[in-house]
Amino acid sequence: MPPALQNPVTLWLLLAAALAGLVYAFMRPELRWKAIGYGAFLLACAVAIWPPYERQGVPGKIHLGLDLRGGIHLVLQVVVEDALSATVDDSVTTARDQATRKGIQFGAVQRVSPTAFSVEGTEPARVKDMRDLLRDYFRAGWEVREGGEGKFTVEMTDLEQRRLKDQTVQEAIRTLERRVNALGVTEPVIAATGGRGDQILVQLPGVTDVEQAKRIIKRTAQLYLKLVENSATSEEALRQSVGGRVPDNMQVARGQGETPGEPVFYLLRREAMITGRDLKSARVGVDENNRPQINFSLNANATDKFARETGRNIGRQLAIVLDDEVMSAPVIQGKLGADNRITGRFTTQEADELAKVLKAGALPATLRYLQELTVGASLGRDSIRDGVRASIAAMAFITIFMLVYYRLSGLNAVVALAANLLIVLAALAYTNATLTLPGIAGIILTVGVGVDTNVLVFERIREELRNGKTVRAAVSNGFDRVWITILDTHATALIAAAFLFQFGTGPIKGFAVTLVIGLVANVFASYFVSRFLFEWVLGRRHVESLSI
Amino acid sequence: MEFIKNPHIDFLGKARYFVALSVLVIAAGLSWVAAGHLRYGVEFSGGTQLILSFQGAPEIDRIRDAVTRVSPGAVIQTYGEAKANKVLVRISQEAPESDLDAPARAVRQALADSYGQNPILESSSEIVGPVVGAELRQKAILLTVLGLLFQLIYIGARFKGGIWGVGATVAAFHDVLVCLGFLAFFGFEITLNVIAAILTLVGYSVNDTIVIFDRARENILHRRKDPMAKLLNDSLNQTLTRTIISNGTTFLAVLGLFLFGGEVLRGFGFTMVVGILVGTYSTLFIAVPLVNWWYERQERAGAPAKASA
Repeated sequence: MPPALQNPVTLWLLLAAALAGLVYAFMRPELRWKAIGYGAFLLACAVAIWPPYERQGVPGKIHLGLDLRGGIHLVLQVVVEDALSATVDDSVTTARDQATRKGIQFGAVQRVSPTAFSVEGTEPARVKDMRDLLRDYFRAGWEVREGGEGKFTVEMTDLEQRRLKDQTVQEAIRTLERRVNALGVTEPVIAATGGRGDQILVQLPGVTDVEQAKRIIKRTAQLYLKLVENSATSEEALRQSVGGRVPDNMQVARGQGETPGEPVFYLLRREAMITGRDLKSARVGVDENNRPQINFSLNANATDKFARETGRNIGRQLAIVLDDEVMSAPVIQGKLGADNRITGRFTTQEADELAKVLKAGALPATLRYLQELTVGASLGRDSIRDGVRASIAAMAFITIFMLVYYRLSGLNAVVALAANLLIVLAALAYTNATLTLPGIAGIILTVGVGVDTNVLVFERIREELRNGKTVRAAVSNGFDRVWITILDTHATALIAAAFLFQFGTGPIKGFAVTLVIGLVANVFASYFVSRFLFEWVLGRRHVESLSI
Repeated sequence: MEFIKNPHIDFLGKARYFVALSVLVIAAGLSWVAAGHLRYGVEFSGGTQLILSFQGAPEIDRIRDAVTRVSPGAVIQTYGEAKANKVLVRISQEAPESDLDAPARAVRQALADSYGQNPILESSSEIVGPVVGAELRQKAILLTVLGLLFQLIYIGARFKGGIWGVGATVAAFHDVLVCLGFLAFFGFEITLNVIAAILTLVGYSVNDTIVIFDRARENILHRRKDPMAKLLNDSLNQTLTRTIISNGTTFLAVLGLFLFGGEVLRGFGFTMVVGILVGTYSTLFIAVPLVNWWYERQERAGAPAKASA
């Protein structure tokens, strides 16, 4: 094909011009505009779906759904409580630090629910100062309540909770998008779903390694570099070393020991020196023993801070914590720069996956799986074969029947059905909607509705002919009289299809999409195009009989 | 070519026998459903369904031995054509939301361990956590009811008389109940696809009814002298050819879907096949007689009923 014709618009304009020429040469003037209008529209549809499936590296215009192509469909729930408590934890730290800086004595500051924290035992003389401080720092989005005896409760407002929830879900979606891009999936769908707004739908068509995709998606990948205060072989021993209770600014984390199966427990500073957000890049490398490791570089800001902090803490252990597990805890030998590494017992594949998720960034909250659908490629191929076979059987049968029962007029119905199909496929291609197996069922059903429209019209024309009307009057009356019926039947069918849309995603939506498009296209094809064909064939001359 | 010329069948006269038949069929179907015979697909009940394609011909008994060891009560059956070497495994135990695919992994592992000589080439799965299952069940019922309600409103408005809308809706509701009974009786699962088929058949049944109602409306306008029963019965006869041909072709199209559409569409195809038969029947013997009964009652009460149509 010459390059100029590869542009669909040019191609369409050329074809439409050719059509206009033919129409002008051979068609009666009163039919010309209709002929050009209908013809140009159908040509546009034909151009829109070409090529329908992948050929010689050119991707097809008809996008096949997961059930036909194979792939993964996941519904995940963002545990937004995680993000809420993380924010409250930050606030606890802020409140504590500020009170200490202002020299206000207090008993305890702690989180009491995912959305609130309390300050207790403020010294009586400075209750007012504490009140001012809290009101000052927690003005927008928080509510400060006073319980007497120096006790305060600070709670996030409902509005702020909702905002934070939305933000968390959006951030999770962006992170997932980056991770899915790292997987190299084409045409992924990642979108918020569900009534409560905390669910994410992930569709990865054509993915073959399901397990890997799932690991990469689900990994929280929160990376922290934290100073180690102490370590022991059991959690109990660690607790005893700090008098039985872990201080507010510390935490206990578990890590891999030297020998497998024997974990080591670390007492860590709660405040992280570096977090995953400070990473500029991450990739797989090998250590001096040829074992896989992950190399990462820090961004400029974090590099300065990291150099300063490591310089101040030479000789201490720095824990590399990934998703609450200590991967390793090397001793700081000197000031550290931008490029660092994570070692641990990984396989190359694990290291590769870790590098991908670290680079894509951490999820703001844990994800829970609600639903998982995987379709193998061969199952998808079987479905295509079955769907196509059923469609062809239906079309062939209907074509033969219409031709036998309505003779030449039946040809009209066949043309209308073909036009209907063309429009449905073009609408799918144009809107990037996917064709699913239930979608094919929807098309077959559309064909059924199309036949009904034709039958309604033809039977009415026959009836008019029996009542002694002339051919032209019978055709005209036939179409006029069934118009209202067609309108009513299509409207009610559309109401039913609209409710199918409410199922949201997945194969059912594919069914609703083809059914809705098919119903609208059918009014055009089986009523207007068919009527035009009758008018054209009947012409201006006197017609004695009609092949119906 | 024409099948029937000028039919004069007395549909309304025999309506009472068919109404009795419908009541019987629905009662039988509903008691069958109430006895717990209606099975839900994995998307509604929650749980795990695997479709495993094996390298060689799968030996169901050996697979069953391996699978039931880790997952007692699992259902194992051949899937699709025998030469496809596919097996369906349905695990009823709940898929935990913290680790949704744990039961599926356990089954695949068990098969790899004790049936390793016939390896699994490809595995498709559908795993639904309890939350989604419950949400979907509610949604399906709500949407079916809302779909019917909105159609009722539309028809009521278009025909300027509630009874026409009620007639079409009662007929559609009748079809849904009959279909549920058939699905339960023939052991088909209620899946999302089946729900889609039921909603479609609601639309189809109403569509079929409207064609006849429209004809009746036209007749009422032109022949004000005739009694309602005659008008309605004539409308049924005038549209009978269309009813047979349209519904017949659509019936054959969905029959093709049922027979050739493969395993995935079998439930959908079955529901549509039953639905189109029942939808046609209910138009003739439920919807129109109901409207007729209403107008006869009105006439006996002496109200000028016809004018409202």
